Amino acid sequence: MSYLPCGVYHEFYKQDQAWWQTRFVRGKMILLGLLVFAVVPLTAGNYTLGALSEVAYTILGALGVQLLIGYCGQITLGHAAFLAVGGYTSALLMLQLHLPYVLTMPLAGVAAGLWSVLFGLPSAKVKGFYLIMTTMAAQFITVDFVITQYVSQVGGRGQAFSLPPGTMKIGPWVIESDRSIYYLLAVTTALLTLALANLLRSRVGRAWVAIRDNDIAAEAMGINIVYYKLLAFFTAGFIGGVAGAAGLSRLAAISPEHFPWFWSLWLVGVILIGGAGSLHGVFFGSLFMVLVMEALKFALVPLTPIFPQLAMKFLFLKEATFGLAIAVFLIYEPNGLAYRWWQIKNYFNLWPFSY
Amino acid sequence: MIRRLFIWLTAFSLALVLVGPAAAEEIKVGAINDMTGATSDVGKDYALGIAEAVAYVNDQGGINGKKIKLIQLDYGYRIPEAITIYKRLRDLDKVIVVQGWGTGDTEALSPTITRDKMPYISASYSAHLTSPQAWKDKDGKDHPGTPFNLFFSSDYSSNARGALTAWYEKVWKKSKEAGKRKPKLVCFYMFASPYASAPIKAIKDQAALLGMEVGSDQDVSLTAIDTKSQVLGARKENPDVIWHGNTTMSCAAAIRDCFALGLQVSHLLNNWGFDENMPRLAQEAAEGVIGIAQCPLYGQDVALMDQVIAYAKKLNPGVPQDKRLLRTTQAWANVLLMAEGMKRADKAGDLTGEGIVKKGFETMNNWQMALGGVAPLTYTAGDHRPQSVINVYQYSKGKFNLLDAVDLKARWPEKWDKEWLGW
Repeated sequence: MSYLPCGVYHEFYKQDQAWWQTRFVRGKMILLGLLVFAVVPLTAGNYTLGALSEVAYTILGALGVQLLIGYCGQITLGHAAFLAVGGYTSALLMLQLHLPYVLTMPLAGVAAGLWSVLFGLPSAKVKGFYLIMTTMAAQFITVDFVITQYVSQVGGRGQAFSLPPGTMKIGPWVIESDRSIYYLLAVTTALLTLALANLLRSRVGRAWVAIRDNDIAAEAMGINIVYYKLLAFFTAGFIGGVAGAAGLSRLAAISPEHFPWFWSLWLVGVILIGGAGSLHGVFFGSLFMVLVMEALKFALVPLTPIFPQLAMKFLFLKEATFGLAIAVFLIYEPNGLAYRWWQIKNYFNLWPFSY
Repeated sequence: MIRRLFIWLTAFSLALVLVGPAAAEEIKVGAINDMTGATSDVGKDYALGIAEAVAYVNDQGGINGKKIKLIQLDYGYRIPEAITIYKRLRDLDKVIVVQGWGTGDTEALSPTITRDKMPYISASYSAHLTSPQAWKDKDGKDHPGTPFNLFFSSDYSSNARGALTAWYEKVWKKSKEAGKRKPKLVCFYMFASPYASAPIKAIKDQAALLGMEVGSDQDVSLTAIDTKSQVLGARKENPDVIWHGNTTMSCAAAIRDCFALGLQVSHLLNNWGFDENMPRLAQEAAEGVIGIAQCPLYGQDVALMDQVIAYAKKLNPGVPQDKRLLRTTQAWANVLLMAEGMKRADKAGDLTGEGIVKKGFETMNNWQMALGGVAPLTYTAGDHRPQSVINVYQYSKGKFNLLDAVDLKARWPEKWDKEWLGW
């Protein structure tokens, strides 16, 4: 195999399913890794790192939504609930049982995963719009009821509390500066993405895609759809829980107001813009949603001396942009940014003799 | 077509470059306000007030000759939004003070601003922000200090204690039932909102101190417009007094529903539920409602009010005068406080985050601001509660009348000094 993937022939399934099939691709991935884990964190300022951490947190949240909606066809509008379960589990385990932060992250994932299965149970019976209702119920039951009424009683800290400085550390390494937060979120994102990508090309992933494409046909082929749907809910919840726990590092504080219903909706918007049914889509959607909004602010703030009202009207603009972006993407680019990326990549791969 | 677009874009970016370079000496101040979110019923007026007050301070010579440049952004009462705005203000705009808004975001940002040494003046008067030193509560739990959080008003917990005390003494003791049984308190607030739940522990503690019973809480959303189920729930408990911990819109809805369902109780409102809009929304149900106001009503006859009105007319002529609220004066009080702190620090030659707090705010001892109707303020290195007298008003026949001014520090000096700081 040489530099360009033109005329790649596979002899084994293993080759066919490999992620990075040519040396050229491997080289690109090494460069990307260097960029994400060395160049950016060592050169970027605090603001950029903060914005990129926001991107990573959005990616972590949207991965689970992508799995449920994009790969398994189970529409969810309550994913922020599982981020909340993860965040609270991690925070309370650290404060009450003094467990190390790294250990609380998988535990938070398991707790959120099991909680997610509970709200995935209705998916055995209901589909589509009705499932939207049950997942929305997950949001309100979890955040507005269980967490505010009962979880807040644990340790008597109330609904909103902050973690004392130095609580969140990995070994001797205290997660406090923007750079350390960026690293934590970037590593978590990379690990979870690799794990999910791996899962998606396995038997489980194929079963999910089959259920998404036609659940009756899938069942006729012998796929236990209830089991696989619940597995999808567990996995999505697990990722959400780890995301919530990792997201805790950004502020060292937590409250139910961190996990509003709007955030669940926002995450669905992310995958619609990025492209449903594509892991690339999660990344592109998150980059788009965070960076475009920040860029809008860049354009606005210098204009405030002339139009003082502009800054205060920004959120209207942001919300309008969000709605407009989703509408425009659904009309002109229903496959999302990921599809556009695929086209651009192919164009350059085949350039100059596309056939 | 494309070429024309290109020309416009070039012109636009040139304009940006020309506008970019700022005037010589200026001090950048950030503001994070809520114009569109769950608390916009009170937040909009406050945000206008901040901009107007900063314009006034600048026209008066700024901070010892340096002008304040205000960078004001709306965060829609959404915490993730507040965080990104804060980081932007800190790292890109390089502000030296932030004027913040809600309890949720202010408390969530508190560890961050402490680390950044960024003075953060908030419209949240949560008592959790009043102890500059780390402290231990009764259960032995450690709480970090919040040395960079400041505000001009009495804190929510003191407000709640003051309102309950005033009600107990001026209303309950005069009723026929007094002395025959214990009165009962029920709290209406949004459990999930750090703002609304901040003073609940304190008001229950105060109820116990006064010898009152406490019924079970009712969860009322900040955006509620129908609260009948909560009122019916409270009716079973036969309360004598209800504490409303939300902002004006949902407080007024709850008062109206109590009236409609025939629940005869006294209503106590926290300061963000009590303004000129409350009687407009609650109508006849507003008669006799008791609330806290630590600053003058909009248009009240006090010092500097002429300027407040003049700047409101000048900067925001589109907003009708009768729509302006005491939220404007609340914003003025926080801005005037900030300006005084910065002036003192500047005079001491230390206009940094730490300097503003240590050499600015913490040198204020009974400082009286130019705006009338605001009590003298005191900040020390161990206590950021600026005032201890709680002004409790009662609304009656179109007027806000002072019911009682409860000096908590004078009444319970031991508890005020040792026990009540920080919650």
